[in-house]
Amino acid sequence: MRLLRIYPAAWRARYGEEFEALLEELDGVARMSRHDRIDVMRAGVGERLHVFGLAGLPPRERAREGSLLVLWAWTLFVLGGIGVQKASEHWQAVTPPAKQGLPAAAFDVLVVVAGAGSALVQLGVALVLPRLVALIRGGGWAQIRRPIIRAGLLSMLTAAATILLAQWAHSLSPAARNGHDVAYSGAFAVWAIFVAVCLFAWSAAAAATTRRLALSVGLLRVEASLGAAVAVAMAVMTIATAVWWEAVATTAPWFFEGRPVGSNTSVLVANMIAPMLLMLCATSLGAVGSMRALRAIASGARPL
Amino acid sequence: MVAVAGKTPRATAGNGRENDPPLLILTSLASGPKHGYALLLDIDGFAGVRLGPGTLYGAISRLEERGLIAPVASQGRTRPYRLTAQGSAVLEATLAELRTIVEEGTSRLRARARSGATAGWGSA
Repeated sequence: MRLLRIYPAAWRARYGEEFEALLEELDGVARMSRHDRIDVMRAGVGERLHVFGLAGLPPRERAREGSLLVLWAWTLFVLGGIGVQKASEHWQAVTPPAKQGLPAAAFDVLVVVAGAGSALVQLGVALVLPRLVALIRGGGWAQIRRPIIRAGLLSMLTAAATILLAQWAHSLSPAARNGHDVAYSGAFAVWAIFVAVCLFAWSAAAAATTRRLALSVGLLRVEASLGAAVAVAMAVMTIATAVWWEAVATTAPWFFEGRPVGSNTSVLVANMIAPMLLMLCATSLGAVGSMRALRAIASGARPL
Repeated sequence: MVAVAGKTPRATAGNGRENDPPLLILTSLASGPKHGYALLLDIDGFAGVRLGPGTLYGAISRLEERGLIAPVASQGRTRPYRLTAQGSAVLEATLAELRTIVEEGTSRLRARARSGATAGWGSA
């Protein structure tokens, strides 16, 4: 039946035959109405969206998935933040002291809100820990161990890589550490990939584990509120970063390409554009996730 | 009565209950396993709601995914589904929530009838 082609292949493999039997049975009693055909098409599109977690979830699951989307957004934001932190190192050294007021204030906001955001995320994780303990005591470790062990092993590898890189960095001059040593730059890039993979592995482990936990509506409400606060924190930090970038671009444009003070250079450098894009994407994702969670909670978060 | 697509006026009455396919399916399965067509007939019979086939199977796949219903072995192309223990618990919890609202609404309406009130806050 042509209508079934709208559905994802995996869905068709599982339900196709019995669904087709139902449609034939309906068609045998009387021809399927236009209303039914539209319903089948709409549901097919819904199944495709469901593959990406965008449709077909009950309110309670939507609240949980919304909060998890904020967690993923935070992970992405942390990567962007690490990029900004690296790109902004020693900016005060080349900026005239009299003109450091605005960029310093923006950078302080960024640092303070980053701390607050981290605390909120940690609180969100801490609140579900008793449920995690209950799951493990109830024999649920087998269901969640794989992503946790994977993330743990990646953390050990990343820690080892960090120690080796730090030892290497101590033996290098500041210029060599900042891009003049090709081998070190390559090793730094590999280390950054390790950090990113490690962060995403822990987020994946947290998501896989949270989906197995029995969370009450009250706890989901708290997590949704924390998610909204984290989304606001990401928006504030993105704005603060943009303000800092603009202020330093105005007062010390030579900083971004590491040129001598007074040089005329571009301020649109890849090591600022890439983290800013990551931060913008993360902020958007965080806003979508928190809105989704809050709306689900507002709808009553019934189990069905 | 055999309810067929678009043949029953109440099927599209828009009373809001057609927005609860999972609840309707779990309620239907509470009386025993049923396949897709039997579910449509039963739901139409007890709730007056004619679910579309796509809506029905969308809800069936979500409920099975969450372990609230499970397929029963069968011969032929149709596949009956049964309520699981978890599905039974979720149905019970959902009905308890709805019961609270129904009881509250009923008692308020009774109180309103007793006091003979006809004007709300918005009335002059």
